[in-house]
Amino acid sequence: MSGQLSLFLSDFLPRFLRGMAVNFEIAIIALVIGLALGLLLALGRYRGGLARGTAASAVALMRAAPTFVVMFFLLNAIPRDMTLFGMPLALSGIMAVALSLVPYSASYISDAGLDAMRHWHDGSRLGALLFLPNVTRAFFVLVMSSSAGAAIGVTEAISVILRRAEHLPSLDERLLLFAFGIVMFGIPLQLGFALVSYVQRRLNRISRPAEPAKAA
Amino acid sequence: MRRVLAALTAWLLSASLWGLAAPLQAQPTNSPDLALKRLLEEARARMPAACSQANADRLVKILCAKTIRIGVRDFYPLFGTRDGDKREGYEPDVGRAIGRMLGVEVEFVRVNAATRIPLLAEDRVDLVIATMGHNTQRDSQARFIRPHYYRSETIVVGPKEARVTKMADLTGRTLCVTIGNLSNAELVSQGARLMLFDEAGVLPERLKDHTCSLAAQDDSFFAYYFIDPDFAAAYASKFGFSQVPWGMAVARHGSDELGRALDLISQIFHRDGVLLDIARVNRIGTGFLEEQQKIWRGTECNTDSGSTNPACVLAPLNAQLQPTPFAASVSAFEGWLEANAHIELALPMLKTAPAWTVFKEGVTNSLILIAGALTATVIFAVLFGAAMASRLAPVRWLARLVTVTLQSSPIVLTLVIAATIVHAFFDYSDAVALAASIAALGLANGSNAGQALSEAIGTLRAEKAPSHGADLFSRALARSATQIVAFLINAAKGTPIASFIGAPELLSALTDITSFSSARATTYTLLLIFYTVVVMVVVWLCGKLRGYLEGRQLRTAAHA
Repeated sequence: MSGQLSLFLSDFLPRFLRGMAVNFEIAIIALVIGLALGLLLALGRYRGGLARGTAASAVALMRAAPTFVVMFFLLNAIPRDMTLFGMPLALSGIMAVALSLVPYSASYISDAGLDAMRHWHDGSRLGALLFLPNVTRAFFVLVMSSSAGAAIGVTEAISVILRRAEHLPSLDERLLLFAFGIVMFGIPLQLGFALVSYVQRRLNRISRPAEPAKAA
Repeated sequence: MRRVLAALTAWLLSASLWGLAAPLQAQPTNSPDLALKRLLEEARARMPAACSQANADRLVKILCAKTIRIGVRDFYPLFGTRDGDKREGYEPDVGRAIGRMLGVEVEFVRVNAATRIPLLAEDRVDLVIATMGHNTQRDSQARFIRPHYYRSETIVVGPKEARVTKMADLTGRTLCVTIGNLSNAELVSQGARLMLFDEAGVLPERLKDHTCSLAAQDDSFFAYYFIDPDFAAAYASKFGFSQVPWGMAVARHGSDELGRALDLISQIFHRDGVLLDIARVNRIGTGFLEEQQKIWRGTECNTDSGSTNPACVLAPLNAQLQPTPFAASVSAFEGWLEANAHIELALPMLKTAPAWTVFKEGVTNSLILIAGALTATVIFAVLFGAAMASRLAPVRWLARLVTVTLQSSPIVLTLVIAATIVHAFFDYSDAVALAASIAALGLANGSNAGQALSEAIGTLRAEKAPSHGADLFSRALARSATQIVAFLINAAKGTPIASFIGAPELLSALTDITSFSSARATTYTLLLIFYTVVVMVVVWLCGKLRGYLEGRQLRTAAHA
């Protein structure tokens, strides 16, 4: 038993934590790109005219694109030897997952950004500031969704758990390992959501935008 | 070491070839040895006049030039490698042995999988010995030498402790494979899930870094890695399948006599153990060659007609996939689109019967999965909503605990847990995988939607709304319509993830199809369009539902 615990602490846990770092890395990349694209789209929707129609259509399309399929599309549809301005454009697994999450993050940030612009226009600065907790919420959803990388061989935390589970003989041991994964993902997620709630309360409950759904 | 091996090879070959020549006098009149001798004498008799004839057989040209040009691989460890000008491996050694039999020099030419047949057709090589599997498709492109000089099979390789011994053990498991490998179709038919790679060279690394728990590839490819003590200590070949005979090949036209001479040489090499000796020197598997030696020593096969006797030679692998009844129309449409719109569209899922079957099942299962996930989400939303709004504290707490747990579990993990639990009670099947996926997607989204529903009930109670029971629930449903609809859309969008636990939906089906066909870009583009359109339809339907629920809420409020 002590041998198993020692193996768990010396071998599995460092791998798992490195895997979680990959989940956060993917989420950060997706959020940064999503912020840039989402705010541009929000601006387009806010301004009206042709830009509004174009941006709204793009957001509707991005909302409907399933993350998992986008990931496989990016990985398989982009030629391996493709270049952009002479630079190779071959996607790594991490980038494929991050880019597949961009339609979700950009469309969500576009919605939140549009709300913020409207609040700002109406003179409600606190309402506009709700944008920040909404972005934080999106970030944690992205962390959870980045586990899709397990399907294409990205060594993130869930794939570390699944590889370990393959070597466990009994159902009980596997379920225990899965429970460990849920706790490890649950702690930052619930802390993040608690932070969001706290900030929202502090912002005087001026605005209450819709809860985001997990990217799928 | 290499020098020693080279010397040993030369010695073994010399001994073997000496053995070939010595008993010639005692050969029966229909022996392959006498047939080869006669063939070479006839060809030499036409020299030098035939040397300048454009239509002379390649055998004559080789004898005139005193050189045979042989296409071999540059980097296929143990079978064909190059170090500067020096070529080593089983295939160059077989090429040298052939050169000695013909009494000519050997000039090696680099070929790869894509160039080996075109170079023959362009008369830039006389013969290829380049790890080429003999299948019915290639029979129309080159003339294969019989008997075959080697045979490979696809082996499943994994960690020694992995409990995999037969094909049935692969059901529901993920294997790393290379795209275009014909054996992938067999793996797919057994219910294995495939992770696709472009190059076989990455597979050992992906096994080592645990990206792949199992990999399937030719045994000839893994042979090199198994001579590494570290690799051999950690990994093992679990079982083999999909055997493919390897053939030397010459051009289909102008090589009749050369082909015949090589048939006889190959026959003699098997009978006298020349190929077996070369294989041993190069440390490759010898099981097939030992079997062949027994066959070609038998009186039935050791004749000048042995290489055309179906009882002696192996049939090529049947690689022809049955076309669909409308395959020709699909090809015509692809051609028309390319000619008129310059769009290169490839629709492999419509052209062959196995791909069409997998495609139809994928579409059907995707629609079942989406309908099931939406229904399950609604059912779980109602159950969780009712439980979380219950006046009984233990029920409320339990429902909240389950919701927080589901919220904290990435959807991939939720699916895996559902599959693990379901498989503990039921054998793997498509229906079981679909049911587990529907339950997992329904739970993940339904719990969140249920939370929104319970919050709506809470606000109605706080407002002291004059309603109870079903009426309260109905008003709460209307109030939380936006949230419920968001999670319904999310459930529909999440259905492709079910492929991760082996649910045979469209993503799974198309991944399987691309593993043994081509046109990945088109296939995945069509997949993206399919799912985006389906989700947009779900969004539209959910919008209608939300409109209905919110309208009902307004009407109820107006009555109140």
